[in-house]
Amino acid sequence: MTTPSNTKINKISSNARTSILAKLKAQVSGADYAKLPKEIPYDYPLLTHPEHIEQFVGHLEANHAQVIKTHETDIAKVIKAQLEQRNISSLLCGENSLSGEFIVPLKTDINLQAYDFSIDGNKEMLFNECPAALSNSRCAIAATGSIVLWPDSDEPRSLSLVPPIHFVIVDAEKIYADFATLMTEQQWQSKLPTNVVLISGPSKTADIQQTLAYGAHGPKELIVLLLNS
Amino acid sequence: MSEDLTQVNSKESSDESKYAASARAFRDNVSRDLANDELRANFRGAMDYLMAKRKDAFSSQDELEMLRYQCKLIKQRCLAKLPYLLEELEQKLEQNGIKVHWAETITEANEIIAQLIAQKNGKSVVKGKSMVSEETALNDYLEQRDVECLESDMGEYIVQMANQHPSHIIMPAIHQNKQQVAKLFADNIDDFSYDTDVDVLIQQGRKVLRDKFCQADVGISGVNFAVAETGTLCLVENEGNGRMCTTVPDLHIAITGIEKVIEKLNDVPPLLSLLTRSATGQAISTYFNMITSARKKGEKDGPKEVHLVLLDNGRSQAFADEELRQTLQCIRCGACMNHCPVYTRIGGHAYGTVYPGPIGKMISPHMLGLEATSDLPSASTLCGACGEVCPVEIPIPRILLRLRKENVKPKNQQPQIMKGQGAGRSSVEAFIWQVWAFVHKSPTLYALSMWGLTRFRFFMPKKLGPWTSVRTAPKPAAMTLHERVKAQKAKQLQAAQKRRV
Repeated sequence: MTTPSNTKINKISSNARTSILAKLKAQVSGADYAKLPKEIPYDYPLLTHPEHIEQFVGHLEANHAQVIKTHETDIAKVIKAQLEQRNISSLLCGENSLSGEFIVPLKTDINLQAYDFSIDGNKEMLFNECPAALSNSRCAIAATGSIVLWPDSDEPRSLSLVPPIHFVIVDAEKIYADFATLMTEQQWQSKLPTNVVLISGPSKTADIQQTLAYGAHGPKELIVLLLNS
Repeated sequence: MSEDLTQVNSKESSDESKYAASARAFRDNVSRDLANDELRANFRGAMDYLMAKRKDAFSSQDELEMLRYQCKLIKQRCLAKLPYLLEELEQKLEQNGIKVHWAETITEANEIIAQLIAQKNGKSVVKGKSMVSEETALNDYLEQRDVECLESDMGEYIVQMANQHPSHIIMPAIHQNKQQVAKLFADNIDDFSYDTDVDVLIQQGRKVLRDKFCQADVGISGVNFAVAETGTLCLVENEGNGRMCTTVPDLHIAITGIEKVIEKLNDVPPLLSLLTRSATGQAISTYFNMITSARKKGEKDGPKEVHLVLLDNGRSQAFADEELRQTLQCIRCGACMNHCPVYTRIGGHAYGTVYPGPIGKMISPHMLGLEATSDLPSASTLCGACGEVCPVEIPIPRILLRLRKENVKPKNQQPQIMKGQGAGRSSVEAFIWQVWAFVHKSPTLYALSMWGLTRFRFFMPKKLGPWTSVRTAPKPAAMTLHERVKAQKAKQLQAAQKRRV
């Protein structure tokens, strides 16, 4: 697919590349990295697991998320009650969730819709006809009250982004102290997927006169179902 | 091919940034904005809010100082390895299926982006917050080529609607209050009637912008950190528009400055923690979005193509000097603006540059040359607040002093460190300082000049040009300090002798 315009920007780019790198290398080639000062991270106090849970919930609630402590067996009941409060009768979720034993009971009252389509050609539907979504999470971070999503073909990126209400299931046993600990323990550098996202509340903005408003572009509500706490 | 070459050769002269002209008008801009009470109230309110938020965000001074030191060292390490990290980043990104483009000038960057869009027949672009794309004035460039480029960050959306530019790098519409935004919406959006409820205003913006996300062919974003080790583009945001722009359209183009590359994934957590807390006092932003590849086979969403444009635009000039290189440590948190007494009073537009405030005064001279930005390094009281809050410990006041020196050096003095060197040099001023230095090197001349100044002090004019436009003229004392001390000592000696007698 070599088009004339392609050739042209490739040429701009390769000239710029050569020139930029030459200028930079002229300054730092041969630098002795051993001479760089030692970087010492700040030592955060070690907290217990219950304290981590408390910190996690505290941050999320301060950021306007709703946290519901519950059990796996009650997931369907909780979601149903929340949806009914809001007069919503359908829920978008991953294909695997749809067959999950704790989600299945929802089917009797809620129209469970599987994200079993490509976004191509389905954007209008996704944006306008999906009032709520349910996703799982990979783990969570206590220090900042963040939920780590690791989107894949079962639970695509837009599942947690486009529908105005986002339910997310978090396992309290997978709460890490902080982001640095999490990355190191899970060795992220060797296996990052297409996209990872840390979510720490509903979408918000303070762009008009520093006044907080929720639901700027993404979900207006983030409802966290916290298991095993 | 010859056509390409002419384009490359003429790039220096033909495409001056539109911000050069507005930066030259700095003094006029300042007079205009200082006289605007509403604007000044908006900035005062916003800066007080942001300073208080930052102050509450750290558990202790100890934590803050340790983190600042750590993050400074991280950024200095990454700069020490910059060309090699850029190569590693390129290699990793290409492995991940993200195409990398390089641009030395803003026109090159715009040209690359316009071509990428044209290849896909793109007509409608949604843009997440990207100050680098403001630097290149991408919106204007695309508009001239019949591509609609809509800003999707709420602040940027407002600013674009008002035909303005961001007045703050984190909160672009900080210069407007809700009444002004309500009027703007009422004037520009069909079926919207004036309402100052911020929720109503944001929901209105949401409605318009969600339609645009849904329809757009292309999403453009900036980058907060580009991780060389893994080939990952990281974006920090609260609204979700950044995720929309990088998830929904078929084509995602990210643009960033070459200094945004960091070496290791492990460098991310401390930098992120300091960035959000310094910027808005948040422990973390609502979304932290890490993009490592385009849509893979079997995945149901995400852009089919992802491109990264790496822009120099004067950064390599700053890099070439060890002191000025520290400018590139900046992680664009905006804390220096929030704490700057000058920025708070004159506001973000008066600078006339893309980046206002202390960071703008440091970086703009590299982007636009000292000729256009000659006044900026001097627009500082050197109070030091910016350097004190900078999360990566950039000695901003020291760098401003350095820029002042480059600004008044003889134009042809070698080596030429900055474009526009000596732009602020005045032969009269240079002569005065030469005389001053000459007099101060000789004790006799110095004493003589001081004697003259004190004895003929009544000849001191009442008007001393710009100095007395806002100050009273200085009035020399009747005697120099030397003389007074001498007289005092003589008196004491006399008294002592008397006692002995």
